[in-house]
Amino acid sequence: MIGTQAPVTVGWENIPKVEGGRAKQLFFTWFQPAVLFALLAFWYYAPNSIAVTSTAIGIGIGFKLLMLGLEWLVPRHDSWRLTWKELTTDLFYVGLGYTVLRMVDSYIGDGAMIEAVQQSFNWDKFAWFTVLPLLVQAFLISFVFDFGQYWMHRGMHNWYPLWLTHAPHHYITQLNINKGAVGNPVELFLIGLGIGGFFDFLPRAALLAGTLGLAVGTYQHINVRFNSPKWWRFLFNTTEHHSVHHSQDYEATRSNYSGTWIIIDRMFGTCVDGEAELLGMEGGRRMSVAETMLYPFTEGWKSIKGRFGKGHLDPSEGATAVPAE
Amino acid sequence: MNLRFIDWIWHVRGSLALAPGQSGDDAFARLDPLFRERNTHHERTDDTLTFSKKDQAAQDKMAIFDGGVLQIDKGEAGPVMRYDLISRGLLFCFLAPLLFLGFAQLTIAIGNLEKPSTEAAKKKPEKKKAELPMNPIDKALGAPAPDKPKKKDKDKDEDKKPSPTPAYVFAAIFATLYGVGRIFEARWIKALFKKSLLGS
Repeated sequence: MIGTQAPVTVGWENIPKVEGGRAKQLFFTWFQPAVLFALLAFWYYAPNSIAVTSTAIGIGIGFKLLMLGLEWLVPRHDSWRLTWKELTTDLFYVGLGYTVLRMVDSYIGDGAMIEAVQQSFNWDKFAWFTVLPLLVQAFLISFVFDFGQYWMHRGMHNWYPLWLTHAPHHYITQLNINKGAVGNPVELFLIGLGIGGFFDFLPRAALLAGTLGLAVGTYQHINVRFNSPKWWRFLFNTTEHHSVHHSQDYEATRSNYSGTWIIIDRMFGTCVDGEAELLGMEGGRRMSVAETMLYPFTEGWKSIKGRFGKGHLDPSEGATAVPAE
Repeated sequence: MNLRFIDWIWHVRGSLALAPGQSGDDAFARLDPLFRERNTHHERTDDTLTFSKKDQAAQDKMAIFDGGVLQIDKGEAGPVMRYDLISRGLLFCFLAPLLFLGFAQLTIAIGNLEKPSTEAAKKKPEKKKAELPMNPIDKALGAPAPDKPKKKDKDKDEDKKPSPTPAYVFAAIFATLYGVGRIFEARWIKALFKKSLLGS
């Protein structure tokens, strides 16, 4: 039963709306769709010289700065306010993602693995994909990746070894723009695996798909309230959905696994429409950077010792991590 | 080496004059709520308060500090509260640029190691790239046609080499964050103590 361990609001009708003047309400109602459609139009029509990855990186950084500004001006919860320490810690994980993780990913990530598979079986890419309309390609790239991410994420909540890598991310106690990067690097590597490399697609379609991630997925971790339209909440993941997933209530965390397309959760019966303010594990204990880095290994070692070590009686004796299965 | 010369990196020290007639007991009583936060342990003697924190909550007003000592001294002009606070966060942020500079060097070193194998790979016969198609719907809607495939040029290949730039950018970000944090968190904690001491 959801909400027995910590407060969780269930049902859209029970979720507060943005309060204030008409202009403010209009802004926070139409901002999300307006930005999404503007970006889709931009990437659809931009000349080839502009439709390049560096432009996407620039837009991504600009968008995050804008969101940081909104978090500062109109925070959803005061208890999620960004502090110097939170910002510094979050940026450390973001920095790891842009440097070491990217390097590791280029050698043993999905791209490298798929290339190896294609070479050993002499497979060509699915070239027919490129003749589909651009927006269909973009939708398929985004949806197929999210579908894989959904199952990896759900697996992390149901299989103890995977859970050990994901658990540190659930020790975040507030949602901010960079919180998606907070977690053990092993988890961040695993969640980034996809099968997109098997397909051949137009570069523009990949940029359009990236925009869906930026203009939708970003709102998973953000301390701003939007009056997202009904169709948006039906199709896409929102801060509300993701706050339920991060709540201190165990049952509530077993929901809303997708990254962008919440409709995947609806397909598999794991969607919970609602929101929560109290987030984290162990009643909201904030995990340090050092513990985040070591957690899967220290807890894994404890579990192995508990199971196979000398004089073991109870396999769960050594483990302190609350299994998510 | 005397740590005193470098421990300003992670220590925040300062002093505040107590209000005329304010006793040490009264001062610590007013500051008490700050040390009643979750995961904060504190001890008091007559004129000294020692505290330590572990896994402090994000919104703890003293979250940046992991421990410290507050002491009431009887100054010539009246009692003064002196404090010496320790922050692992500040130390971590001070060292982070070095870590990212290390990542940049690692990226460059790996890039250099890779050069020979990239050159070997270049010798492989390249498949002729087919022209990229365009769906009639996209044509009708006016989307720009994909560029015709060009011959792979050397510059483009070199662009694909892992770049150390992000690591340099993050080194600069953390250096800036350290400067901001070291100055403003020190001012902010002084203001917080002052507000608590003067508060009714």
